[in-house]
This record gives sequence, structure tokens and C-alpha cells, in this order.
Amino acid sequence: MSKIFLSVLLILGSTQAQAEGGFNWFHGVAHSLHLPEHTITFIFTAILFLIAGVIYRAKTKSIEGNVVPDKGVSYRNIVELIGDFIYSLARETMGKAEAKLYFPLMFFYFSYIFINNLIGLIPGFMPPTENFNTGLALGVWIFLYYNAMGIKVQGLVGHLKHFAGPMLAMAPLIFILEIISHAMRPLTLGLRIRGNMMGDHAVLAIFSDLVPYIVPLPFYLLGIFVCFMQAFVFTLLSMIYIAMAVEVHDHEEHAH
Amino acid sequence: MEGTGLIALSAAITISLAVLGGTTAQGKAASAALEGIARNPEAQGKIFTPMILAMALIESLVILGFVIAFMIQGKF
Repeated sequence: MSKIFLSVLLILGSTQAQAEGGFNWFHGVAHSLHLPEHTITFIFTAILFLIAGVIYRAKTKSIEGNVVPDKGVSYRNIVELIGDFIYSLARETMGKAEAKLYFPLMFFYFSYIFINNLIGLIPGFMPPTENFNTGLALGVWIFLYYNAMGIKVQGLVGHLKHFAGPMLAMAPLIFILEIISHAMRPLTLGLRIRGNMMGDHAVLAIFSDLVPYIVPLPFYLLGIFVCFMQAFVFTLLSMIYIAMAVEVHDHEEHAH
Repeated sequence: MEGTGLIALSAAITISLAVLGGTTAQGKAASAALEGIARNPEAQGKIFTPMILAMALIESLVILGFVIAFMIQGKF
């Protein structure tokens, strides 16, 4: 109950904190370490994430506790709810065998981006994903990962065949187009999350600037929705990129 | 300074055109998905993911337009 009260108080107390260049909890730390604020927030969420992981691990340490689920709404059930959601999504987009392989990374991506987005709703925190560099770093890692996995599963030649298109005569043209579209993927992943988070944050800032009380509340709800959606879209696109890179070509055996 | 008004106008036109196209396309995608769900409510789970995917791909171009508007604005 006191937590709810405190969070409501924080929401109501957010006057100009959201505005750009406003108050930030990590301002002093960022200044003394000569690091940008979004980097400090990123490290902070990483520590939070680690603690959350350790707590979850402690809860499922015993074998009985591992099998028998908790009753009602508990921390463990929430984590497993998100895990189940991502796993079913992975199974839908990648197939059963692949979903088991790539689920851990995708779960990490979803929950970590979600936390990073959500922290922007707390007054005095800049969401790290609002900065383009964070999104680009996450996107570039996905880019490297799916290419590595494609090479690992199909070999270098098999992976390069993906870029060539179905017809040999058209291959030189399609190859260039495909290379460009693949190179754009990490950029668009980063830009999408950056643009959406910045727009969301700006709307919040403007409305809490205009009327500090009550009026920004619907925008907090919208903000939570946008945070979820952007994490979801990022994860979904990464899954599809990985699925496209590792799908085994058996066109020769099956006549379409 | 002469020409700053034109720079501001071009940034505004860039983002507004991008948003106009993007929202039209997203509206079309959403209406088609809703129609599909209305015809066959059981298919909701299957329609949802491709719809989100299509919307994300449409949106990415709008965001590229936003970036260009941002770059134009930076020329002030």
C-alpha cells in the first residue's frame, strides 16, 4: 500500500522534472564520472536486472519450488508470465526447435528493453533507450548475432545465398538491395525505439509542464503502453530476423 | 538570418508528409486486420503478430522521415 502511495506521490510531484535538461537523479554521478546520463541509467538498470535475476533464481532453487508454481500474483509468476508470453511468440515466429535455442536471448531483450523504457516514466530518470546510441548498440548486437547464427547453421555459402534471391540472373541486383536492407536493420531498430521513446517522453514532459496534477495521468498509461509495445516490436523483429537467417532451405526437395 | 523560415517550414513539411503517409498506411493495415478479426474472431491471435509487424515496418519509414526533419532542423 505504501508503495502505491509513494508512486502516486511521485507521479503527482512531477512538475518540470520530465522536461529536457531538468532534474535528473544521476546528474551528479554522470558529471563526476564524465559519462552521459543515459549510460549511467543503463548501468543502473543492468544492476536492477541482475538483482531481479538473482532473486528469481533463489526462488526456484529447490527442485520442488521449481516445479510447483506459486499461488496468486507473486514475483515469480510475473516473471514466468513474461517468459511464457515471449516463448509462445518465439514458437509462433521461429518454430519449436528454434524457439528453444533463441528464447533466452529474446527474453533478455524484451525484459531489459521494457525495464529501460519504463524507467523513463519515473520522474528524474532519462530512459536510456531515448538515446540513439543505446538502441543502435542493441540493434547492432542483433545484427551480428543473426548473421553469426546464419553462418553457423547454414555455412557461409548458404548464408550468402539468402542475399542472392531465387533467380541466378537477378542475383547481382538483388544482392546489392539485400545488403542495403540488411545494413539498415540495426539502424531502423535503434531509430524506431529512440523515436518512439522520445516522442512519448516529450508528450509527458509537455503535459506535465502545462498542468502538473492529474492531467498527465492518461499519458502515463499511454506511456506504459508505448513502452510495452516498443519492447515487443523490437523483440518480434529480432525474432523474425533470426528466424529468416536460420531457416533451412529445402526448396529442392519440396515442389511448391 | 535569411532563409531560416524556409528551413523551419521544410522540416515541418517533411515530418507532416511522412506522418500523413504513415498514418494512412497504418490505418489501412489496422482496418484490414479488424475486418479479418470481425469475420473470424478465432484468428485474432494469428492476425495480431503480422499486423504489428506490418505496422512496425511502415512506422520505420516515418521515423526515417522524422530523422531527416531533425537533421533539417539542425541546420539552423
